[in-house]
Amino acid sequence: MEVIVCSWCRMNNAASALQCGSCAAPLDAKDKVSDSGWREAPRLKDMEQFKFGNSTLQVEGKYVPVAEIALEQGDFVYYEQHTMLWKEPRVELHQYTLPGNRRAHGMPYSVLYANGPGRIAFSRDAPGELVVMPIHAGMELDVREHAFLLASHSVTYSFVRIKGLANLLHGGNGMYLDRFVTQKYPGMLMLHGNGDVLQRTLAAGESILIEAGKFLYKDSSVKLDTVPVPGVKTGWFSKLYMAQLTGPGRVGIQSMYHHHLSE
Amino acid sequence: MSTQTTPGSVDAYPCPYCRMTGPLSERGNCRTCGAAAKVHQLVSGSGWEELPGAKDMAHIQFGRSHVQVAGSFVPVADFNLHNDDRIWFSHHKLTFVESSVKLVNYKDGKSFFTRMMAKMESYMLQATGPGHVALSDNHLGEIVSLPLNKGNGMWVRSHTFLAATASVTYEPTANNLFFSVRKGDETETEYPLGRFDDVFYAPNEPGLLLLHSPGNTMFRDLKPRETVYVKPDALIYRDLSVSTYLTAEYPHAERSIFGSGYQNRNIWLQLSGPGRVAISSKYEKEFVPLLPIVDGTIEIIRW
Repeated sequence: MEVIVCSWCRMNNAASALQCGSCAAPLDAKDKVSDSGWREAPRLKDMEQFKFGNSTLQVEGKYVPVAEIALEQGDFVYYEQHTMLWKEPRVELHQYTLPGNRRAHGMPYSVLYANGPGRIAFSRDAPGELVVMPIHAGMELDVREHAFLLASHSVTYSFVRIKGLANLLHGGNGMYLDRFVTQKYPGMLMLHGNGDVLQRTLAAGESILIEAGKFLYKDSSVKLDTVPVPGVKTGWFSKLYMAQLTGPGRVGIQSMYHHHLSE
Repeated sequence: MSTQTTPGSVDAYPCPYCRMTGPLSERGNCRTCGAAAKVHQLVSGSGWEELPGAKDMAHIQFGRSHVQVAGSFVPVADFNLHNDDRIWFSHHKLTFVESSVKLVNYKDGKSFFTRMMAKMESYMLQATGPGHVALSDNHLGEIVSLPLNKGNGMWVRSHTFLAATASVTYEPTANNLFFSVRKGDETETEYPLGRFDDVFYAPNEPGLLLLHSPGNTMFRDLKPRETVYVKPDALIYRDLSVSTYLTAEYPHAERSIFGSGYQNRNIWLQLSGPGRVAISSKYEKEFVPLLPIVDGTIEIIRW
């Protein structure tokens, strides 16, 4: 049987499909890759939907998109409490137990999980795009704080402390990165990137300098360092610091780093 | 002006947006501003035409280098700099840079005071090729490319500047578009556009100026003595031949029984032709509450 492999999540789809069944990426549109190798994250079309577990996620809207989920019995998603837009009364909410002392060390929002059956919707209060990150079994993805919108139950939440004084003081990513891990089963992780989201895959040892505030996510195999640019000043006593990411692995950036609240 | 254009069929496409003439790119975009070739009339009934901005993945050629636009919400300008080609920009706009690109502080020979008047950053950066360097603003909007011929200049509102090639320079220019308002002991001066804005020009050789316009961008060509009122903060750029004046309009219908009614006034920027003007659909909010005008060159209209 002829299949189309989704270039974003690598899942097989029927030859007649117009959008990927597991990440909603359009299959009928050519990938947009710039000359420098950055690929635009697939723009999820308004009202597109895809399955995860037995549940269905539908994307609504274009500028500040909403992720609406029809949760089936036995499925659950977890999320930061303030990103919930609405829910049906029958959807049960519970406190999600954060690992270790994560909340005490900088996770300012409660993390909840929602149990099916029922419908529930999420959005972040900023213009941008939703990115469905394909997380296959045995993968680890590091995400900047508060970019995460929701994750399915098979994805384990963890965190890593950013090491090094320069990283902490000049990195712009706070003290922690959220780490999402899958064990035996694949999972679904949805991020919200401010502005446009671009991804590039770095070869082993390949490096790139990124404005630290525009870093969005990376594979855990990618090394993150904050380095000064030699000879460049941004004030009387301040240097220009950038995030140096060294492969191998994927790197995602967002084109807008201020969190502009929608008005 | 050609209005029926197909990619590859035109060697000398006169772009209605950047006013340059040249062949179209393979994607059917203007090579000097990245706008899609105009195949339909997009002019509104009132005469404003949508400036399409540089399209996603469009290439804009300048000299031996080019810039590619990636994204559509907050687009990124991804420069591929040829050996020794240079651009300058504010470090706030930097998105990523390859290690082969040399970054240094930009020395434009202007004094600290001149930069302050031009509302430019005190510390600007200069990137020298070869390699890729990318820039983006921090607001929803679009990238507007303004290729400048040798000796040509363009008035540009402050804080819309994204990047320019080394051949482009700027000069703060008095625009007399400000007044003072007072509340108690506090006085807000230089409202709404300020004492100075920037004129970018290419004195010695052609250059490229990139702006980030928040929201959508519209432009029109004003005929001689044709006038239009716009929100002051909405103006993005104008030809130097366009004259400007501030107007405060106090609609009678909005006046209250308690007197002045200045809370309900409209502050307009009056633009008079001839020349090209471009405005953005997103503008700064007027600060609330509005206060009485106590000083400034401004025309008052009451009706």
